[in-house]
Amino acid sequence: MYLLEHDAKALLAQHTIATPDGVMVENAHDIAGMQLPAGPWVVKGQITAGGRGKAGIIRKAQTREAAAEAAGAILGATVKGREVRAVRIEQQVRGAEEAYIALLLDAAEGAVRVIMSASGGMEIEAVPHDEIRSAVVPLAVDAIVKCMQELSAAWPGAKGRALREAGERLAHVFVEREAMLVEINPLFVRADGSWVAGDAKLVTDDNALPRQPEIKALLERRAAAYPEAAIKLEHGFDYVVVDPEGEIGLLTTGAGLSMMLIDELRQQGLKPYNFLDVRTGGMRGDPGRLVSVLKWMTEGKRIRVLLINIFAGITDLGEFSRLLVTALRDVRDLDVPVVARLVGNGLPEARPILEKGGVHLYTDLDAAVAEVRQILGRERGVAR
Amino acid sequence: MMNPRIDRATRVIVQGITGRAGRLHSRLMKEYGTNIVGGISPKMEMQEVNGMPLFPSCEAAVRATGATACVALVGAMQLLAAMREAVAAGIRYIVTPTEGMPVHDAVQALHLVRSAGVTWIGGSTPGMAVPGVAKLGFLPNDALLPGPLGLMSKSGTLSYESGYRLAQQGVGQSVWVGVGGDPVKGTRYADLIPFYAQDAQTEGLLIIGEIGGHEEEDFAAALTAQRFSKPVFALIAGSSAPEGVTMGHAGALVHGSHGSYASKRTALEAAGARVYATLDDMVRGVCGVLKKK
Repeated sequence: MYLLEHDAKALLAQHTIATPDGVMVENAHDIAGMQLPAGPWVVKGQITAGGRGKAGIIRKAQTREAAAEAAGAILGATVKGREVRAVRIEQQVRGAEEAYIALLLDAAEGAVRVIMSASGGMEIEAVPHDEIRSAVVPLAVDAIVKCMQELSAAWPGAKGRALREAGERLAHVFVEREAMLVEINPLFVRADGSWVAGDAKLVTDDNALPRQPEIKALLERRAAAYPEAAIKLEHGFDYVVVDPEGEIGLLTTGAGLSMMLIDELRQQGLKPYNFLDVRTGGMRGDPGRLVSVLKWMTEGKRIRVLLINIFAGITDLGEFSRLLVTALRDVRDLDVPVVARLVGNGLPEARPILEKGGVHLYTDLDAAVAEVRQILGRERGVAR
Repeated sequence: MMNPRIDRATRVIVQGITGRAGRLHSRLMKEYGTNIVGGISPKMEMQEVNGMPLFPSCEAAVRATGATACVALVGAMQLLAAMREAVAAGIRYIVTPTEGMPVHDAVQALHLVRSAGVTWIGGSTPGMAVPGVAKLGFLPNDALLPGPLGLMSKSGTLSYESGYRLAQQGVGQSVWVGVGGDPVKGTRYADLIPFYAQDAQTEGLLIIGEIGGHEEEDFAAALTAQRFSKPVFALIAGSSAPEGVTMGHAGALVHGSHGSYASKRTALEAAGARVYATLDDMVRGVCGVLKKK
């Protein structure tokens, strides 16, 4: 789970990593009567993606009015397909130099890569190679701390000391919070040697949530900010709205096949609404999962057809079809034609059940997609 | 060299055999031809499952049966402990279909198997198969057909769909390995290049990848470095996935340019692989090269 900057900073602060004073705001009108840290400020849109500066959702403000105006402009904007629902209003750090520090999981090595640079503030890819120090170390606090001490020795004075101190603390964050990535860029370093994390990027492991109660609590408290992880935690499967304007609701199982179907629909100029890996194996005779998904889809106001794609290696399609027809009957609000493409186990049994339930059944995926296109009144489109 | 091949002599035990998945899949594997010689049940409330004897520990099972391979069908939070037990008992080949192993646990598991010289396939893998011979895990029989294509995949379902469509065209598989969708894993695509290079049955190699991480890029670099000479085909899912969102698999997360579709496609094409944008194109491409006239 890619944490919002505001949440990442709150977590870093618990590990005594200094961050500029800041507050989270969801409504620009609240700013007038709010207690803010001392100005001037930076107003920063909170989304789980990088490149926020380029996207125009990080703005400086000298006055409270300017901060409210910036927040008003940023809130509600859509960046990288995500709506900005909150801003962090943060005290500006001035008169400081910028450095860079990151730890990330090296998946191939099964180890941690530590990256440091005395230049920060830009994408690390843009920093000249000879200004970067990097090493791969075992996933253990002691080993990472030792590495931080060695790498930071490349820079004398305040910068080296700041990188070492921040690095030692980040070692604990990485191991104790079971992170996959933690990055501070820029790390502001003042002439007097004090330092503060200007930005914070933290990606944690959803699989570790059962033994990370604090991150789990954060997710439960602010489920709206992390809809995908919250659904996974509560329901045990994956659902992602990929295009709120989408016209095709997808009821699919399997992460790879679901992603591929979305890709192929888009290449044809069609607009899928969601990604879904419903995990039919976890349904265990209960239509609950399907009912939940269909209800969520009623939020997609432009959905005009439901496309089902299940490759049943193990799943029994007869049972799946019974549950599907029950769920479709339960969720009356999603009143759209249903096209299903099913292959595998129990297909002969599924056929009459679906026919009676008004579902158009195909065994060939391309034929099912062709019908979807016809329902939407689209000729085969061109790739974007 | 890592060798994923198994045969009907390979003796296999199943950890977690008394659970729902354990009962079902131990039976299906056995019916396919896998030589399942027993299961592990610490509580020993029964003597057997589907005619397969139970043992209280891996150590006891290995001692009694001479098993060298195991399939772990235990919960995600118990998986590391189960793997430690298997390795300590002398198991040389472990397949872990369980989804949701914490990544930091996977790091410990990787060190464990590497230092012991054990082959680990997983986690979050549908398993592996030598079609017509035996399988470890739950690759669906409908998609399995003996043939010339080496197949590696992060995704289960997308590989089923691909294997199934190719099998319908008469192109089957030599050895099918689901490397799995986790970021830290026992076997990565690149690890198996030497095996597929020397495997006589394999005439071409299909990798089914997805966004996130840089496993496809590493694979592409290794193809070039090792001068792999058989045709390579690739299908990569997730070209339209939003940034910063985990798409089902823990490994399928794009942040910045890291793990992007474009990066993978470029690397694979530079290494001479044929990269396809749709399933249909992939099937046509593979058949064009490997289908016997």
